[in-house]
Amino acid sequence: MKTIYKKLLFLFLLLPFSVLAQNSLSGVVVDKTSNQPLPGVNVVVQGAGSSTSTDFDGKFKLGGLKSGDKVVFSYVGYNSETITFSGQSTVSIGLIESANQLQEVVVQVGYGTVKKKDATGSTTVLAAKDFNKGANVTTENLLSGRIAGVSVNTSGAPGSGSEIRIRGGASLNASNDPLIVIDGLPIANTTTAGSTSFLASLNPNTVESITVLKDASATAIYGSRASNGVILITTKKGGKKLTVDYNFQYGSGKLVKTVDVFGADQFRDVITAKYPALLPTLGNSKTNWQEEIYRRTDFVDNSLSIKGNLFGAIPSRLTIGNTYQEGLRLTNDFNRNTVSLALAPSMFKDHLKIKVNANYTNEQNRFAPGVEGSALSFDPTQPVYDPASQFGGFFEYRDTSVTTTTVNALTPNVARNPVAELLQTYDRGLNNRIFGNFEVDYKLHFLPELRFVVNLGYDQAKGERRKTLATNSAVAFSNNNIIYGNNEFAEETFTNKLLDAYFNYNKAFGKLNLDLTGGYSYQKFEKERFDRGNTNNPQLGANFPETSIDPDIVLLGFFGRANLTYNSKYLLTLAFRRDGSSRFADNNRWGNFPAASFAWKIKEDYFKENNTISDLKLRMGWGITGQQDTGDERYGYLERYVQGDGVSQYFIGGTAYSVGIPSARTAIKWEETTTYNVGLDFGLFKNRITGSLDAFYKLSEDLLFNAPTADGSNFTNSSFQNIGSFSTKGLELNLNADVVQNEGTGFNWNVNFNATTYQRKIEEVDPFNRIEFGGIEGGTGANVLVNQSGYTPGSFYVYKQLYDTAGNPIEGAYADLNADGIINSDDRYIYNNSDPDLLLGFASNINYKNFDFSFNLRASFGNRVFNNVNSNRAVYARMQPSGTLAAGNVPVSVLDTNFENTTNTLTSDLYVENASFLRMDNITLGYTFPKWLDGKASLRLFTGVQNAFVITDYSGLDPEITGGIDRTIYPRQRSLLFGINVKF
Amino acid sequence: MKKIRLNLFMFLSLLAVTQSCTNDLNVVPEDDDDFLSEDFFAQPDAYKRAVAGVYGNLSLTGTTGPGSSLLQGIDAGTSQYSRCVWYMQELSTDEVIWSYEGSGDPGVREIQRNIWSGENPIFLGMYSRAMVQVALSNEFIRQTTPEKLSARGVTNAAEIAEIGYYRAEVRALKCLAYYHLLDLFGKATLVTENDPINFRGTQLQGTALFDYIESELLAALPSLKDARTNESGRLDKAFAWAILSKLYLNSEVYTGTPRYADCMTMCSNIIGAGYQLKVNYLDNFKADNNTSSELIFAIESDGIKTQNYGATTVMCNGQVGSVEGNGQTLYGVNGWGGALRLRKQFVQKFDGAEFDYDSRKTIISAGRPIDIANVAIQAQGYVLGKWSNRTSTGLPGQNSTFVDTDFPLFRLADFYLMYAEAQMRKDGAANGNSTANADNTSLGYINALRERANDGNFANVTTGQVTLNFLIDERARELHWEGHRRQDLIRFGKFTGGNYIWAWKGNATNGVSIPANFKVYPLHPNTILANPNLTQNPGY
Repeated sequence: MKTIYKKLLFLFLLLPFSVLAQNSLSGVVVDKTSNQPLPGVNVVVQGAGSSTSTDFDGKFKLGGLKSGDKVVFSYVGYNSETITFSGQSTVSIGLIESANQLQEVVVQVGYGTVKKKDATGSTTVLAAKDFNKGANVTTENLLSGRIAGVSVNTSGAPGSGSEIRIRGGASLNASNDPLIVIDGLPIANTTTAGSTSFLASLNPNTVESITVLKDASATAIYGSRASNGVILITTKKGGKKLTVDYNFQYGSGKLVKTVDVFGADQFRDVITAKYPALLPTLGNSKTNWQEEIYRRTDFVDNSLSIKGNLFGAIPSRLTIGNTYQEGLRLTNDFNRNTVSLALAPSMFKDHLKIKVNANYTNEQNRFAPGVEGSALSFDPTQPVYDPASQFGGFFEYRDTSVTTTTVNALTPNVARNPVAELLQTYDRGLNNRIFGNFEVDYKLHFLPELRFVVNLGYDQAKGERRKTLATNSAVAFSNNNIIYGNNEFAEETFTNKLLDAYFNYNKAFGKLNLDLTGGYSYQKFEKERFDRGNTNNPQLGANFPETSIDPDIVLLGFFGRANLTYNSKYLLTLAFRRDGSSRFADNNRWGNFPAASFAWKIKEDYFKENNTISDLKLRMGWGITGQQDTGDERYGYLERYVQGDGVSQYFIGGTAYSVGIPSARTAIKWEETTTYNVGLDFGLFKNRITGSLDAFYKLSEDLLFNAPTADGSNFTNSSFQNIGSFSTKGLELNLNADVVQNEGTGFNWNVNFNATTYQRKIEEVDPFNRIEFGGIEGGTGANVLVNQSGYTPGSFYVYKQLYDTAGNPIEGAYADLNADGIINSDDRYIYNNSDPDLLLGFASNINYKNFDFSFNLRASFGNRVFNNVNSNRAVYARMQPSGTLAAGNVPVSVLDTNFENTTNTLTSDLYVENASFLRMDNITLGYTFPKWLDGKASLRLFTGVQNAFVITDYSGLDPEITGGIDRTIYPRQRSLLFGINVKF
Repeated sequence: MKKIRLNLFMFLSLLAVTQSCTNDLNVVPEDDDDFLSEDFFAQPDAYKRAVAGVYGNLSLTGTTGPGSSLLQGIDAGTSQYSRCVWYMQELSTDEVIWSYEGSGDPGVREIQRNIWSGENPIFLGMYSRAMVQVALSNEFIRQTTPEKLSARGVTNAAEIAEIGYYRAEVRALKCLAYYHLLDLFGKATLVTENDPINFRGTQLQGTALFDYIESELLAALPSLKDARTNESGRLDKAFAWAILSKLYLNSEVYTGTPRYADCMTMCSNIIGAGYQLKVNYLDNFKADNNTSSELIFAIESDGIKTQNYGATTVMCNGQVGSVEGNGQTLYGVNGWGGALRLRKQFVQKFDGAEFDYDSRKTIISAGRPIDIANVAIQAQGYVLGKWSNRTSTGLPGQNSTFVDTDFPLFRLADFYLMYAEAQMRKDGAANGNSTANADNTSLGYINALRERANDGNFANVTTGQVTLNFLIDERARELHWEGHRRQDLIRFGKFTGGNYIWAWKGNATNGVSIPANFKVYPLHPNTILANPNLTQNPGY
């Protein structure tokens, strides 16, 4: 520290002398847009070799100049500026941020980085400026729709998690989630009690860039967990200058659409016509239950980020954030406080670099039960409130002769008031999480080409959830006519520890550059849960309070990578990882995952002088990656017994014994995915248009497939086995264009477009023909999805509806596909699947003077959804769900089909609908005051719409459904946004 | 050189660190409900809890409550042992119909309309549940060999003796599973305690399977406790006799060889063992039926500690009428909206004044048509009131969803009627003729049930009335919904073909003939694909 002060002092002392020199140039370099000084800008005298760089305040001084010298100012991410020295002593330079940073972008590749232009695998980087704008509560939404081959599907619940798929995933029954790495720490897709999702703990405002590794040549360095792709999140680091960034956003959201059910009047008409016996149960109100259970919401996001150089030596960043988001469901909210600290000191002339990232998150949730189903079906002629009701003043079907609530005055087996259920359920979650890493990067003094890096990561989440319902709630726990209420409590602790140690050797030997990395990785995941149960339940199982400890997951890896570059044109990457997982027995424990990729900068060989083609690079990659994530199946190879819980006991001699059951024993090994990838990176017209085109083929073999086992051979009839194979092939296109770049008028327009098409196919699941799954509502154990050889995983497996001559479906009439004269389960067939044929993303950014206008669109074509809401509910019989006790509402689409009974309609192909859609995720309009407060700060005001519109033919609420089955969803809200960014 | 040495040193030290971490890959259970086998058996009561596990497979579907299951490919609750048996023995007959058929409760429609094919989750579940019973039994026998016991330091003679009884009981439980598979599928997979885990057993069918079960039971018999001397919840010699008597009575169906005399012997063993008819017939089907002196073995259910969606939970909740809403008041359950109703032909078994006072007639008909024109309409057809989650003194069971009522697998009354039938058949009665040859003993047994049902006053029958056709109907009156009907109809030649038709038989409102190969169910394709040693039954 002392030496740095001395140097600074020395610098200041020298300053006056240099000013006196005649042939020198001094000045300041600033960002032209924000007017902020730029430190570290290279200032080079062309041809002369003398150079300097700007200091922390963007100032520079260059001596020994002759008149006519050309001085070039260049800075990563900015367009270079050249001036001619003509004796002027001072100059002020404003650099313009280059709209296209492709060439200089650094790609995180796991245990190191490469420049984007030198990348050999299929990787995509999104920097902060490319992120989706608008209300993005969880980090994955920053990249939703922006990267070819990556799909993000987020639920409507505040702070909720998303289904993230890269190239459709690679597994059938094992995990399809990509590996997510935050600052070198791979995190587990584990959500503790009290939290909404595992990514909800990260404040998106702290994210600097997101790199997505898609093909195996890029991901193989993460071997065991890389089959589904890797998302590397890098958080912002401190700078040398003190900057303060404050972001505020407010949003007001509302419900967009409801499922079309009968209104009160129409409902009464239908009941009168069809079920007159129910007329006495009807009320006199006109209630739209779907509107009653939702509300207008508030969203407030505050984030304050301070970057600077602590003690003049430690680049630091501190971010404090609060996000409050209300859900559409009454009472549902998400409140997150985050503190994030990043320190990046370097010592010994940058030989020793230390990076510390520490994040603390305090998440408070109030969860709301899913009452969509009861809101759809509740009698619209009933009121929400009933002053005479002893159930908190809410209308409930009840026996009016009973006046107490402890003795259940409720009519049995009828629907319960969904508004009451929301308002009377107190379900609160709390989650405290710390995560971060400590990285030491040491460049040997005597051999600077060699670096050693040790990265320690730690992630601990402690969550708790408490749910209470009073005895005046109709949905509270009751037994034998007595309402006991609920008082539940659970606590969970999840810990993830990481140790990485690796070396990197980088040296040029003539035209050959050698970059070697090798190392070791250890990671351990632990989880413990304490569950008190519902202590109001007098019959609570004797096992409560119950402490459960999940088996640890331990993953070990040895990895190596060589990047060989010849003549800066031919690039070869070889990677190898050997991984061990505690999920596998000793003899199957280790898997080897090699990868190779090659890139050729064709531009350098053939188009060096070509002005149209400014960049052209061919990439080819091959690699094998592994999969071991079998969910709860953690050590099936051990001979174990499990013990029955409090309700799983057997009485012998009048005493209840917890049953001792031997656990199913499996002998599984690594699932392996081989990926082939060919890609072309290109740039046209001085890189005003850049893009990449990738074609890939993936083959997953020895699938970790939960398949039937020979009966009697084990203590189950189905377990994980390495069975079958499945392939994915696809094409991806990313295009980025600076459509208009007009410095004169200040009008700039940048668009980004991506397109993805892929096809998944089960090659074989020998010896099995098909495995059904995908349970639906409306029955006991009914499925509509199937995994069958030759078809897309999760294809719809349904009956073929027959229609009358007028084209109306005939209830319960299905085609006898096997022509045996009997309509039974053998007559089901495969009819489409939920995979999209084509995914498109389009983002547009326009800057005109100080205005900015951007929007992003996302489209999906050919994806199908099984409309279980209609298949289960759009039948007349559901208007008398409880005999003569109460009436129930149904979707008006029943008028189209005239179907009577769910049992006849539940799995008809009629309900497989095309759910193609175009969604406007966000529109934002902003205005920047670049020289606010006399140039000391910049201020940007913006407004926008989140989830502006969806265009679709899908008849349900929302075409974006995970898993292909629409069983009623938490609706996504549309929000009007307003925000402020302030920078000092 | 120095540099290289240094690097090498660093590399080696790194290697040393990593080596110690490699051991971390050997994880062990940390949860207090999860044990390595040897740790499990080191606990006190371990053998009792392990044997409770083998018994428990009859009642429970998994280890973490009624929604958990050891099985997949079938809904967890539906996979309960007695429920699968009940679905396959009752829903395919004239006694009952399930309202939520179709694709909602997959498999049900095909069974109750007799239009099944192999691809039926209930067939998959039944075969798997029974074979898990075999696997659990084998595992218990493997874990309790004298060598294992002595290696674990079990030296207490009384404990070793008791474990000896457990081993015999577990063997009998295995035979129960094989008996059900023989009856329902005509075949099973032979897996013994000597086969390793994940071993694909061979197929055993017909006579070979019959002989195997018989020999195993006869071998186990001497090691079982005498009838009515064991702790409650455990089986005894009478359990083995019961299976044997069932095997012998149906031997002609299973093997083509009649064994009626052997059946009479086994029935007599049971009848002479001291079981007593419960004075109140319906007390056998109530929340406290575990205390009934008439039950030889029942599949346990407890509203608090043995929660399951088994046959008794299904029946108590399912029989609650959609119109009547009589669940809480009559049966101590919330009910499932009219899931179960009666078919006309069963209702007609109680036609006539002689049944006016019969306590076995619990049919509720008020305001209901007898015919079921549309299976999905719960208001059509009569409903039953035989089962209850209230005790014999009228108190509600502990839980209003999960009943306390045990499923009577073997009940004395059954063996009375079986004895009579075996005697008649042994003495020349045959399906389709009207021979009335019940001897006095048989007649006494039949009338004992009649007297009990009618409070001793009415409706006794005479020898001349007792034909086989009378007996099959009497069995329906006495034993309906107890999981016997399909087996009985087959034995009397009334299940397949057109001798006897009932509403919705063969998928016609009034019933039509069904093919003869439907006497056994097909195996699910995945059952066969998972074990290529198995073959599909003829005609499927």
